[in-house]
Amino acid sequence: MNSPLINVCDVSKTFVLHNIDGREVTALQNVSFSIAPGEHVALAGSSGAGKSTLLRLLYRTYTLTKGEINFRLSSGEWVDIGKLTDPEVVALRGREIGYVSQFLRAQPRRAVIDLVTRAGVSRGMSRNDAREHAAISLRRLNIAESLWEIHTSVLSGGEKQRVNIAAGLISPPRLLLLDEPVSALDPENRERAIDLIAQLSEAGVAVLAVFHDLDAIARLATRIVVMSHGHLIDDGPVHSILPQLEPTDVHP
Amino acid sequence: MVPSKENEMTMTKSPIITPQAAIRVRGLSKFFGPIDEGAIARTGPEFGTARDPLSGSIVAAWDVNFDVAAGEALGIVGESGSGKSTVLRCIAGDQPSSAGSVHLMCHDEGRTNVLDLSPAARRKLRIDQLSVVYQDPAEGLSLGVTAGGNIADPLTAAGWRNFEAIRVRARDLLDRTEVPLDRMDDIVRNFSGGMRQRVQIARALANNPPIVLLDEPTTGLDASIASGVLDLIRGLLEELDLAVVVVSHDFAVIEMLTQRCIVMQHGRVVEDALTDQLLEDPQHPYSQKLVTAARS
Amino acid sequence: MNSTVDEIAGPPHSVPFALLDEESKREIRRALLQAVCIPGFQVPFGSREMPVARGWGSGGLQISLAIVGVNDTIKVIDQGDDEGVNAVNLRRLITSSTGIEETSETDEATIVQSRHRIPEDAMASDHILVLQVPVPEPLRGIERNMKELERMHAEGDYSKMWVSLYEDKVRNGVITQTTGYPCLVAQRYVTATTPIPRWDIPRLHQAEFLTLFGAGREKRVYAIPPFTDVEPLTFEDVPFEVEASNGAKCRLCGSEETFLVETPGSESRWSCSDTAWCRRKRTK
Repeated sequence: MNSPLINVCDVSKTFVLHNIDGREVTALQNVSFSIAPGEHVALAGSSGAGKSTLLRLLYRTYTLTKGEINFRLSSGEWVDIGKLTDPEVVALRGREIGYVSQFLRAQPRRAVIDLVTRAGVSRGMSRNDAREHAAISLRRLNIAESLWEIHTSVLSGGEKQRVNIAAGLISPPRLLLLDEPVSALDPENRERAIDLIAQLSEAGVAVLAVFHDLDAIARLATRIVVMSHGHLIDDGPVHSILPQLEPTDVHP
Repeated sequence: MVPSKENEMTMTKSPIITPQAAIRVRGLSKFFGPIDEGAIARTGPEFGTARDPLSGSIVAAWDVNFDVAAGEALGIVGESGSGKSTVLRCIAGDQPSSAGSVHLMCHDEGRTNVLDLSPAARRKLRIDQLSVVYQDPAEGLSLGVTAGGNIADPLTAAGWRNFEAIRVRARDLLDRTEVPLDRMDDIVRNFSGGMRQRVQIARALANNPPIVLLDEPTTGLDASIASGVLDLIRGLLEELDLAVVVVSHDFAVIEMLTQRCIVMQHGRVVEDALTDQLLEDPQHPYSQKLVTAARS
Repeated sequence: MNSTVDEIAGPPHSVPFALLDEESKREIRRALLQAVCIPGFQVPFGSREMPVARGWGSGGLQISLAIVGVNDTIKVIDQGDDEGVNAVNLRRLITSSTGIEETSETDEATIVQSRHRIPEDAMASDHILVLQVPVPEPLRGIERNMKELERMHAEGDYSKMWVSLYEDKVRNGVITQTTGYPCLVAQRYVTATTPIPRWDIPRLHQAEFLTLFGAGREKRVYAIPPFTDVEPLTFEDVPFEVEASNGAKCRLCGSEETFLVETPGSESRWSCSDTAWCRRKRTK
């Protein structure tokens, strides 16, 4: 087993709601686990368990209340994501850590091919390479060439999601965080997307994913981490944990 | 909020390489009226005002700090009276600042505090180093002049003397900002608000400035028009690798355009955050209030 | 007992040489020296009440009166014509208060005061051309604010002027400004070339003679010293063109090479603007 890429050490997240008498809401408590390159870790747990919170903490969309999230850079050095400055996080997100959510956020009315190309450029590709790879990705995800110059705002939910995936996976970062990336896809396109995601592990990308269907988890995951009420309650290889999971453990 | 390191002073080198700042603002402050330390201590978010009750002086902005690199956009969010527009105007040179420094990489490699320059020298910076897009296009345009003429203005100020070349460049910029070329010779007064704003953007980009300041760029425009202008700005930001500061009270604008932002209230910076983090996990009570209000 | 008007009025008090007292002349000359040192720059001066009303050449007159000496010979023209009413009056005023010689031959003059033309005959270093200026500010009509005008000249920020030339060309296909065409003097100041026609502008460039401009109502003088660059403002790909005569000839002397003006009438007839030049050509 190779050395981990990311070490989540005793991480807790508490929200302080100042405008409701400073009420505190603890979303995560004492969560620890690690992910190695090439592993596909599925995050399971019922709604409210803290899965999305965990993804957001790793991406630094949420600030850390307690604990450390240690990430190994390509140089071999370790940094604690929780202690990075904002510009450092921006730099990290550019090339090292990616996030694909269910929604196309803040990027409407941009041509499909431009959006994916741009994602490639932000990961360090040259514009030409990025454009080439964008075309390949879009074809693999069954986005017709006739749609490439169309602005994303007029796409269907499923099409948007596939464009999102293409953008997230182009010149993949070393750690990819996926939050229900195929939920809006019809069966055929879901298959293509899952194929593409499966290849990531082969390429050495570490993946932490939330999927709401057991089948996707079965096909993609090498490990499953189970959460409940903000705690991590189980962490093991897919073949031992998966049989114990109920559909309700993953469905919202 | 993660405190930022004063990296120019410390010896510890971060293993993560962050791009060099194109614009560096330190301690930027603006007062109206005589100010002593007491006035600063008697104003701010905890007092709910920027006005000193004793002297009547106003601490419009106090100790504002930020860096923006090429290809980055930083947002300054706040309600009216927060000081955000004051900060922008001080950097632009439209208003004299009271204290602080602004260093631009493009000017003397960042060695000079541009706030110390003469008004004439500041004006020269506005030709091709730093552009401003104002909330009211009338402030950044000559309404009685054609769209092409408004672009010819900064070009001739930069020394362009070839009429055809000026026309070609103006056409190119208007095309990029999606202004119909058959309106190039119409005077701007005859344009709609959204179209005027596009011409203002085209004009701001005429001499390829490395730094662009945007003050409420879509406020006052109809929603459908505004989103088109925002898309345009976002596209240009990425394509041209500009260092951008966007002032807005509208979180949708900040979310669309910026990766990092600062929140101002009563002249002070109350939070300094990644934009997505500010919108999903605001730390400061005022930020939380603003974000909640925006979401509803 | 009846008195004559002369008896009642008393003896005439003496009029100083050239109407103005020495202090006044000195002040004007100082302003002119400043103007010569800063080519194209509008120097304010204390414009006095003159026996000609404002708008009738009081500025040019004050310059001529300030610089004239006993050995000077004066020529005064209006639109090229020595015999125009205004030219005659101004000339009479100058000669009667100085006793100097007058002439209509450019060659013989040492000071040429003019409105609207530069004489066709070449002038040299022993000539001084004095031009009467209604509006000395080239940016008039482009900027109204005084402080802003000062700033524009001080910083050499003429972009508003360039925009107006651009707009002119876009609207009309050519730059239409006819008289008072703005020129860049000594690569520094943009200057109004009074109401002289475009025809005469190239003759200011690197001229052998000194040109002084006087605006009485606006209280400004400016100067173009000899051998100074005077470049009409235009885009490098829009050549500066002088008025075309379209093959017209002077009906009196047949000249095609001088600036022609139309005489009003049922039949459009052209004649030389510079009447003295025309007369001399005819008598040769």
